[in-house]
Order: sequence, then C-alpha cells, then structure tokens
Amino acid sequence: MFKYNKSRTTGSTSWIIQRITGIVLVVVMIGHYILMHYMPENGHTYDAVLARMQSNWYRVLDLTFIVLGMYHGLNGVWGIFRDYKMKPWQSITVFSVILILGIAFTLWGIKTILDIPYINSTSTTFLVK
Amino acid sequence: MTEIKMFDQKNWIKENLDYKKESGSWAWIYHRISGIALIGYLFLHIYSVSPLSQGKTAFDSKMASFSSPLFMFLEWLLFAFVLFHSLNGVRIVLVDWADGAKYHKQLYVYSVIIGIILFLAMGYVMFSHEITKMFASL
Repeated sequence: MFKYNKSRTTGSTSWIIQRITGIVLVVVMIGHYILMHYMPENGHTYDAVLARMQSNWYRVLDLTFIVLGMYHGLNGVWGIFRDYKMKPWQSITVFSVILILGIAFTLWGIKTILDIPYINSTSTTFLVK
Repeated sequence: MTEIKMFDQKNWIKENLDYKKESGSWAWIYHRISGIALIGYLFLHIYSVSPLSQGKTAFDSKMASFSSPLFMFLEWLLFAFVLFHSLNGVRIVLVDWADGAKYHKQLYVYSVIIGIILFLAMGYVMFSHEITKMFASL
C-alpha cells in the first residue's frame, strides 16, 4: 500500500498538520476580523477586552489562536528553509532560532492572556456565563 | 536525445527569475512572501498587545498610538496579505484534497477576484467613519 514508505518520515505528518491548522486559522481569522474591525470599539479598548476575557471560552479561543498561528507560521518558515541546501550546522542553527523564538513569543502571548484579571474573584471557575 | 537542464546552484536568483511563471508559480511566490509577512506581524502583534498585563492606562495609550491614519492604512495593507494567504491556502487545500488540480488556474483567478472585492469591502468598513465625515463636509 505504501510504495514510498519513507515518505511517512519525511514531513508528511507535518504537511497534514499544516493543512489542518491552516483551515482552522482561516475560520478563526474571519471571526477575529469581524470582532476587531466590523465592531472596532469592541477590539481596541482595555474595558472591552477585559469584559470579553471574563468568558473563559474567549480565553481558550485566543490561546488556541496563538498556539496554532505560531505553529503554522514557524512551520512554514522552516519549510521555506528546508527548500535550500543547508549544512548541518546551518540547519541546526536555523531550527534552534525558530524554536526558541516560537516558544518565547507563544509563552509571552499566553502570559498576556492569563494575566488579564477576572473582575469577580468568585468567577474564576470555568465557564463564567 | 534531449539534454536535461540542471539547476545552477550558483546563479539561483537568475535561474528563478528566468523561469517562465504562470499563475501557479506566482501563487507560490506570493504565498511565501505573504506568509513571511504574516509571521512577522504575529510577533509584532504579541508584542503590541502585551501591555494588557500592565493595566488600562498602558494598554489604551498603546492602542491610541496604533489608531493613527498611517497605522490604519498599514492594517488595511496587512489585510491584503491575510486575504491572499487565506484564499490561496483554500485553493491549495482544494488542489490537494478535492481534485482541484484540474481547475487550479480558474481557482486562482476566482480567488484574486474575491480577494480584491473583500479588500475593497474591508477598506470601506475600516474607513467608513472617515468617508462619511468627508462627504458630510461637502
């Protein structure tokens, strides 16, 4: 069945994940744009963000968005680099830089979302509304 | 016997520029450029939203600096990159998984047309306030 068995270890899984995350990102991106630009007052003030972030569903959505966007983007960058012939030390360096930047900025984004306070101290349970 | 043309590693820029490009090659090139722009923007976005953890004054003053006409125009241009990458991404998925290889050139034309329409529509949505103000003073 698998004539080119080795292709299972040459990035085909990452190719499928790239497709799936891409589709998810398109869907979430539409919502993000409607929220931020069709109703700009909802997107660009602290009070609006604070009110929205009282719902944990929004927090989970935004966390998913950051992680998937970072993965999809940096996997894409790595894919571009893989198109060119690299010496082992070059590819190790590029991969390390991508990985470190990715982890650092993902954690920064996650921290930003989790730092937003809940207005009621009693409402820290999952599913506020 | 035809001679197989080997890719010239040393002159790869010239080789790439000389390659005869049709819609698929252009889609590939623009997909890369827009993808690099978008990941760059994502880094910038995480940085620019980070004052959220410092409270209301820090965040609102940061946001005020991003609502100047220049930044709104740049945001609009960013939407062009988002549109191309998303629509071409959908086209790629259709080519891979839905027999789209048979009609990938039509798909490219359609996605460009849809993209231009959505780009202009977003321009109206983003600047509708300014546009109304401009016509009210006439």
